[in-house]
Amino acid sequence: MRKAIAAEAAKHGFLILICLVVFYPLLLMIQMSFKDVGQIIYAFFKVEPPFHFENYARAWKQVYPMIGNSLIISGGTALLSVVVALFAGYAFGRLRFPWKEQLFWVIFAKLFLPGVLNLVPAFVLAWKLGLLNSYWAVILFGASASLPFWIFVMRTFVQQQPQELFECAKIDGAGETQTFVWIAVPLLRPMIALLMINVFIAEWNNYIWPLVTLTSPDKRPITVGLAFLTSSFPGDYGPLMAGYVIATVPLLLLFSLGMRQFVQGLTSGAIKI
Amino acid sequence: MNHPIKALNTKTYKFGSKSASSGKLWLTGLLFVMPALVLTLLFDYYPILSGVYHAFYRWDGAQTEKFVGFDNFVEIFQDRVFWISVKNMAIILVSHILLMIPTIVACIVLFRLRSGRSQYLYRLLFCIPMVVPMLVTMLLWQFMYNPQFGFFNQLLDAVGLDEYKQLWLGDPDLALGSLLFMGFPWINTIAALIYLGGLQGVDGSIWDAAKMDGVGPITQALRIELPLIKGQFKLNMVGVISGTITGYGTQLVLTNGGPGNSTLVPGLYMYQRAFGGNTEFGYASAVGLLLFGIALLITVATLKMIKSE
Repeated sequence: MRKAIAAEAAKHGFLILICLVVFYPLLLMIQMSFKDVGQIIYAFFKVEPPFHFENYARAWKQVYPMIGNSLIISGGTALLSVVVALFAGYAFGRLRFPWKEQLFWVIFAKLFLPGVLNLVPAFVLAWKLGLLNSYWAVILFGASASLPFWIFVMRTFVQQQPQELFECAKIDGAGETQTFVWIAVPLLRPMIALLMINVFIAEWNNYIWPLVTLTSPDKRPITVGLAFLTSSFPGDYGPLMAGYVIATVPLLLLFSLGMRQFVQGLTSGAIKI
Repeated sequence: MNHPIKALNTKTYKFGSKSASSGKLWLTGLLFVMPALVLTLLFDYYPILSGVYHAFYRWDGAQTEKFVGFDNFVEIFQDRVFWISVKNMAIILVSHILLMIPTIVACIVLFRLRSGRSQYLYRLLFCIPMVVPMLVTMLLWQFMYNPQFGFFNQLLDAVGLDEYKQLWLGDPDLALGSLLFMGFPWINTIAALIYLGGLQGVDGSIWDAAKMDGVGPITQALRIELPLIKGQFKLNMVGVISGTITGYGTQLVLTNGGPGNSTLVPGLYMYQRAFGGNTEFGYASAVGLLLFGIALLITVATLKMIKSE
């Protein structure tokens, strides 16, 4: 019994240590966001007054249009991606239709292709389609890029479900579309949350593609904007760190909303229906 | 772009005529996958094919489009800078694969906690770094490596080891290592969630059986947990490999390949040739085509290797 308690304590100690190391840079970011240059140089590790809240006011003025741009781009991409991947993943995992395996491989094989090969021609395509400097350039290409992985994940998840669940609905006289809407979608809810949060975050993080396609400063998403601000105001770390914190808040809010889906687990509840 | 779709529809019709209900089923399936197929073909495959085609051209996307045969490839193979970038990429790839281990270990430890509440809490904590935008993390680490006011040199100052202060990202010998150390202790949230999903499929009786056998914690990991997450491991491994070969965001943001090409990777090299002043789109596409080959070979070989075990 005592041995078991010691083992539990060791596990907790290990995990707490990991968490502390992971969080340290973030704590550093937050404490620095309240400092002026002098405090950063001479009192780097100290948390002491005066706290410079005006850093946030200065940062917000620069950052809020970029946040708006990022919200539009990331939200649009996540919505488009989830709808398309859900239909395709379910069909590839459950339905029977000609060329199913071949079509799946056409999409899945994209996962193995380096994104760098298509960067330049994609830029030319966006240019020829007149999408340059439009949010659509980022949304359409972003959603398409996310599809192979998420269709694969959705398909695997659908295949792993007890197939009786789907069969039951069929016996009750439901068509494929009804089975999809009433059985598969609720069953896939944790995956839907996982996909939406991940695609949203991936787009929120997207840097290279918007850097190349969104040329005017008023279209810049938060990533491109922050990198631009960092190189334009070297050494002005207080307001910069405040800007970094502000850029993190929307993802934090999103995560708190989707947290239950996330942590509830991927398989629990399926068979209880 | 319309041809494949048309061909599919005719095929459905022909097969479907056997029985009405199965024909409808086929149509449903095809309709369900159609949007994904159209988006993938237009925005993923068309650019790739265009890239393959233009790898044999001198191309700037506008006026210049001249067939040059294998000239781009000859130029690449004689390009010393390209080979430096390949060497760097190889080092990064091996490191990234090894750095998958901490996430697996952390997940197994987490999963063995007795209390469900603690498991939940740590999962939540593991997720928090994900809410910090990747670019912010990069800029933050760039700051931590800053020679004047960065964390590492300030720490060395504070503990009286200031003679060990470094230029970090500014030192050609340390820059690549510093980039790899970024993100210590390398817990990947998405990978962790995927592993934990796999571990959750476990029937509780397995644990009791293991206890009765009296196996140690490492044997238990080898016999029970690792086989359970084999599928998830493959999935993550493929992601790591393709991500490393295609990725150059870290290098672009933190060092732009410098100092002196010490952190240059092929993807970044291509980016620079295409968007760094000259629009050498054809040459960049040729580098892309080579990367495509390398990535495909390594990924297929990895999958084969894992499968044969």
